[in-house]
Amino acid sequence: MGKDKYFLNENPEKLTYSGVFKRFDDWARARSLWVVAYGTGCGAIEIRPTFTSRFDAERLGMQMVGTPRQADVIIISGYLTVKTLKRVIRVYEQMQSPKYVVALGACPINGGMYYDSYNAINRLDLYLPVDVWVTGCMPRPEAILAGFKKLQELIDSGKADGWKKYIDNLEWYRENQKKIIKNWRMPNYNW
Amino acid sequence: MSKEEVRLFIGPQHPGITGNMSIEVLLKGDTITWAKTHIGYLHRAFEKLMERRIFIKSFPLVCRICVPEPDTNEENFARGLEELAGIEIPERAKWIRTLVLELSRLQMLIMWYGGIAGSMGLSTPVQWGIGDRDYILDLFEELTGARIYHIYILPGGVRKDLPEGFEERVLKTMDMIEKRLPEYDEVIMENAVVQKRLKGLARIPKEWVEEMGLTGPVARACGFPYDVRKDNPYEVYDQLDFDVITEEGCDVWSMLLVRRREIDLSINLIRQIIDKMPGGEFLTRLPNVLYWKIPRGETYVKSESTRGEFGYYMVTDGSDKPRRVHVKGPSFIHGITLAERLLVGQNIADVAPILVALQTCPPEMER
Amino acid sequence: MDLAERLKKKFEVIDFKKQREDLFIVETTKKDLIPMLFYLKEYEGFRTLTLISCVDWIEDGKFQLSYILWNSRTRDNIMVKFMLNRDEPDFETIYKMWPQAEAYEREIHEMFGVNFEGNPTQHEELILEDWDDIPPMRRDFDTLKYSMERFGEREPKSGINIRKEISEQYDEWRRK
Repeated sequence: MGKDKYFLNENPEKLTYSGVFKRFDDWARARSLWVVAYGTGCGAIEIRPTFTSRFDAERLGMQMVGTPRQADVIIISGYLTVKTLKRVIRVYEQMQSPKYVVALGACPINGGMYYDSYNAINRLDLYLPVDVWVTGCMPRPEAILAGFKKLQELIDSGKADGWKKYIDNLEWYRENQKKIIKNWRMPNYNW
Repeated sequence: MSKEEVRLFIGPQHPGITGNMSIEVLLKGDTITWAKTHIGYLHRAFEKLMERRIFIKSFPLVCRICVPEPDTNEENFARGLEELAGIEIPERAKWIRTLVLELSRLQMLIMWYGGIAGSMGLSTPVQWGIGDRDYILDLFEELTGARIYHIYILPGGVRKDLPEGFEERVLKTMDMIEKRLPEYDEVIMENAVVQKRLKGLARIPKEWVEEMGLTGPVARACGFPYDVRKDNPYEVYDQLDFDVITEEGCDVWSMLLVRRREIDLSINLIRQIIDKMPGGEFLTRLPNVLYWKIPRGETYVKSESTRGEFGYYMVTDGSDKPRRVHVKGPSFIHGITLAERLLVGQNIADVAPILVALQTCPPEMER
Repeated sequence: MDLAERLKKKFEVIDFKKQREDLFIVETTKKDLIPMLFYLKEYEGFRTLTLISCVDWIEDGKFQLSYILWNSRTRDNIMVKFMLNRDEPDFETIYKMWPQAEAYEREIHEMFGVNFEGNPTQHEELILEDWDDIPPMRRDFDTLKYSMERFGEREPKSGINIRKEISEQYDEWRRK
């Protein structure tokens, strides 16, 4: 009993050689995120002011690129239909790890105002792992910048691991995706 | 398909396509021999959702049909309901609605002017265009409370009156934008590369305009003076003084000239409206909006948006929900029937300027 | 003679109404529709087709098809409509007169199930992908029930911490 006052129950975390590199990696990655240029829904109208001269997002190190092979972040701006979800899954799986997903608007959370539509999905979380949710319809550019800042904090502290969860629980995600996408003709990417 | 041809998807994830649609092409070298449009990536079934909601609850839905320019839809829907129910609106409400419509046209045209340069690789006017458009969105935020989706026009008039000193701020913003426009002209219009690329590109034969029903700046660039504001005037356009702008060229360069002169026309109309606006009421109150029934009937109302003629076909049957609302956007014809025939024989690097000049907008093609 | 009398002399007109100064509404029968459209296009100057639309009157068992034309000289619109039987929705196409009718009829075929004979691209999908239910714009298709069954209920079960709920679902799935 007396010993527990002076001894810890588990080993304290030491910064080993690989720990230092990982810490530097996270610090550098958070300050230079590249975004795939894909405007999926209504929210694409507020992404353009966020990345141009008035509410500059390039001071945070973010830039739009044309191909998913060079990108870190995919922004889902608003609702998703079943036809677009199939393409978004394909784009997401083509990105290199580590990768992050930011969801804008009220529609990915629980369906928004299209809750009774036969073509718009209700919950994005069942099909892709999401790291940051930004609410609003459409969120203002200042709100989107606050969401990016939160993403940077999560990456810095090492907690943004949606991509790891996707690889570990791939069968659960695939079962959900195949339930709504009937004609499954997708390639198997090599992780 | 022979062995020399390559099938390619200029697909949904592409920086050169205006929105979320895809075009499937067959290429021989660098030239397109066959094209087909694929839409359906943004279909939310608005018309089915509107049949389940009472009339006043459909206004937040109607806003989101055409994403960059939402006021045209609200005004059309409200005008159709007023015609079917037989409601008269006060005079000042019509003038305020016209002011909101012209401001919305102006911000869309400025963003388009930067966009056509961006589709060819000049990236500085893109930043200018989106940055200058923000000053008009600030005016909207002061008037209605939101930057993009306003929900300001209701059946019976408008939601609130203009705040104090609003007119002076509008005039100051117009002066500021007018001073910035010569800089755009110097970079875009007097540029030798832009002129050589766009003159003579994608010429539309003149028979297609009446056969296919092309409207808007696409028809006006071929010499046909079709403008809904002059042909079937609505709100207060019959009391304003302006001319229809036409060009004779039928190619992308003429469409650029038509839209550039429409920016000047919009600024002129806004100054006229503020000059002539009367006082008075801004809303006729409906008795009880949650239990409002409209008698049986049908109508077709239309208005002029930046792209062409926007029409609403509405059918009611005596209950408190509409029976059928069909939204006809101008991009349905321009994006499917015209683009498939116009892209044959063009270079693949010219697909982006052609689509931006036709102003195809996928959310209104498939609603 | 004005337009109403000229039309009544040549074709079978059930109803003619002037809705606004520049909008006429004409109701006719199924076999007189295409001759009337041809007459309006060639002799009266309504050379532009604006819209083809369809309304479902399920209580009477009929579909209503409406064709809206525009005259560029007198700036008038005219709407020609007729009723079609709901159990046998077959009609002919007007693709040879106006090329944009192909896209409008393709959409009506997908959304309502009306069959237009002679349309070359009618069976290709325009808006929906891999649809296997009844045509969705008909009145007997319940969209709320379909959405709840296919995409799940709106509210998450615990409602407060979404991350925790997803990891609970992973463990539950693994225990099965």
